[in-house]
Amino acid sequence: MATETTPNESGEVSRRSVLKTSAALGMAVPAAGFLAACAGGGSDDKDGVAADNTNAENPFKVDGKKPLEVVVFKGGYGDDYAIAQEALYKAKFPESAIKHAGITDIRAEIGPRFQSKTPPDVLDNSGAQQINHADLANNGQYADLTPLLDAPSIDDPAKKVRDTLLGGVVELGTYNGKFNVLNYGFTLYAIWYSGSLFKEKGWTEPKTWTEMLALCEKIKAAGIAPWTYTGVHPYYLFDVLFTLAARHGGNDVVKNIDNLEANAWKHPSIKLALEAMVSLKTKGYILDGSEGLDHRQSQARFIKKDAAFIPVGSWLENEEKDLLAADPGFDLKCMIVPALDGSTNPNAVWAAPGEGFAVPQDAKNREGGMEYLRIMLSAKGREAFSAKTSSLTVVAGKSEGMPDTPGVRAVQEALKTTASAAYPFKFDEWYANASKGIIRPKLGEVMAGRLSPDEFITIAQKAADDIKADSSIQKQHRN
Amino acid sequence: MSDTAKVSAPPRRRKSASKRRANWFVASFLVLPVALYLILVLSPFAQAFQFSMTNWNGTNPDYKFVGLENFKKLFTSDLYSVYLIPALKHNAIMLIVVPLAVIALALFFAFMLNVGGKSRGGRMRGVGGSAFYKILFFFPQVLSVVMIGILWQAIYRSDEYGLLNALLAIFGVPLKSSGWVSDPSLVLVMVMIVMVWSSVGFYMVYFSSAMASIPAEIYEAAMIDGSSRVQTFFKITLPLLFDSIRTAWIYLGIIALDGFALVFIMTPQQGGPDHGSEVMGGVMYNFFSNGQAAMACAVGVILFFFTLTLMALSMRLTRRENVEL
Repeated sequence: MATETTPNESGEVSRRSVLKTSAALGMAVPAAGFLAACAGGGSDDKDGVAADNTNAENPFKVDGKKPLEVVVFKGGYGDDYAIAQEALYKAKFPESAIKHAGITDIRAEIGPRFQSKTPPDVLDNSGAQQINHADLANNGQYADLTPLLDAPSIDDPAKKVRDTLLGGVVELGTYNGKFNVLNYGFTLYAIWYSGSLFKEKGWTEPKTWTEMLALCEKIKAAGIAPWTYTGVHPYYLFDVLFTLAARHGGNDVVKNIDNLEANAWKHPSIKLALEAMVSLKTKGYILDGSEGLDHRQSQARFIKKDAAFIPVGSWLENEEKDLLAADPGFDLKCMIVPALDGSTNPNAVWAAPGEGFAVPQDAKNREGGMEYLRIMLSAKGREAFSAKTSSLTVVAGKSEGMPDTPGVRAVQEALKTTASAAYPFKFDEWYANASKGIIRPKLGEVMAGRLSPDEFITIAQKAADDIKADSSIQKQHRN
Repeated sequence: MSDTAKVSAPPRRRKSASKRRANWFVASFLVLPVALYLILVLSPFAQAFQFSMTNWNGTNPDYKFVGLENFKKLFTSDLYSVYLIPALKHNAIMLIVVPLAVIALALFFAFMLNVGGKSRGGRMRGVGGSAFYKILFFFPQVLSVVMIGILWQAIYRSDEYGLLNALLAIFGVPLKSSGWVSDPSLVLVMVMIVMVWSSVGFYMVYFSSAMASIPAEIYEAAMIDGSSRVQTFFKITLPLLFDSIRTAWIYLGIIALDGFALVFIMTPQQGGPDHGSEVMGGVMYNFFSNGQAAMACAVGVILFFFTLTLMALSMRLTRRENVEL
């Protein structure tokens, strides 16, 4: 194990308490569970949760009397879904007292609790103020969730939880060989438009970038700005950049960037994608003032039909439900960024499992935390989430509780053709300081027309090389 | 003490014992404030120095000592200097521009409102409606900095819904598509305008009260000697207000070294676009939220010495004899 970790006293304490609990319940620790814990725990000296996978009801041997503390990020998804899921846990363990908190500033409120080794049992570490997953994982402050993956699924005990998840979820949540983060919500990044506006004007969804540019010319002639975006948060543009590049040059273009491969940013597909984006600006297809609009302002202008297209994640419909309710005929539709000419991988899509749930290593009730995550992944748990958020989870092919709204239908439609070519993008999360300091602002400058694609590529490559050369930055790798 | 030493022995002992008791009595009042100062002010300073030389990321209890590595990286590695260098530059610019602009405007307004008008019955008065202007100019002071930030964000909004853009549109000025605070070459000026706007009122009142303590006879004498209003200002008002101006300068310097709240609320990417409005406080915040807590502490240490140097310098440069009135 490359990670340097120091012996963790409270980890020892919790192992002892696990043993004590098992002894109290009159059970010996089963050999299978012990081995599973070893396999998951790796070679360092922190222990994992010992699981008994023959017991589909309670594989982690949760002490039903122990309280459970759940902290979730209260952002675009709200926290009603978590309250509903906590009720499911409470129904299973009626004696357990559940403490719930829905907060936005995870770092300020939970950071000190990691520092003092008193974190909550379940943490949805998301949002702008999240603590970098990589930092906590590198430092061994997240429990290894491998026992969860190997536990029987609640819906079908014959199946392991691992086999119910969408491809890539395990890989994305794995740091230094350990599965630490369960990204629970499924986000599709897309380009949105109004079905009714398109119908009224006789426009059709463009299938290629050339068609997109031709349509933009028509839209502009009709007196509407073809595109808007949030200039205040340039990372919304990652979707356009990397989807165009991955479609043109293959998903490896993005993978090489994540893995800090030599000259990864200098791949010709990146340059072509950047030039395509800049052409929107130079041809006058961007709504005036988009550079200074935040996400809500740009979305409001889009829903007012001042702009025809906007790149946002699939949370758009939920986030703007009030504005959309005021215009019932809007007919929200989405498509994936249309591919450039000569694209070798035209179905690529940035499908990003988000809302990273973790069980801290120093949590008092790790067994309960893992059981809570197992309940979240069950049919009832998914239903609670989808019904409250109109969003999909990372459980493959399941959409219980999804309301039937235009946006939800559009996302499901877009996934039908593209799900097989989904790619992740991890650089921004793994190397947050460099991405927020250099890549994001410079991408904003490119889109504003103040920085050329070539200059951007040089700067981005230099940043990647600097990260690689800095031994104090822990590197991650994905396949 | 040298006086009491001459007195004979026994009374001295008695006297110094009671004096000592008195000292303890006084000290007992200071225990609480001094303890609070130690715990809440000095110990965080000391801790920031300690953390700045570790690899603490904000959540790892097992951080290690790395010496001056963080300071070196802050200046030499692009990954970190991309935040620090613009911030140092911007704080330096603000340190010169903001106090100068605020003091100049505040002095001008205070002079106009107090002695800028016609003299009536031998007494100096302000311009007409000065009571109203006083309230008007002071008004930003009653708003919290957060409200000021939100207010000006709405004024500077980049599309046609921005107040400034809407006003310009009335005069037929076309929309500036890069916006006001979203243009990296303009954003710092835009932030400084807000800082000046929100500070002038307070210093106007401050200088007004200082001016009120200048005896009217001096002005009358000057007028009899045929001094113009401009001469009166530069030859009488300004020199007699020197102490107040020096105090204002120091306070405004502190404001200029901060600026974090306004930048945080008003500017894109909280210090952007592309670090165009980065300030030291914002850099600390950004490093903290990027999981670089030790770097944030190192920036704090740099800011500490930056401020200390400036204070020492300004006290030394502005030291001079007071004029007794």
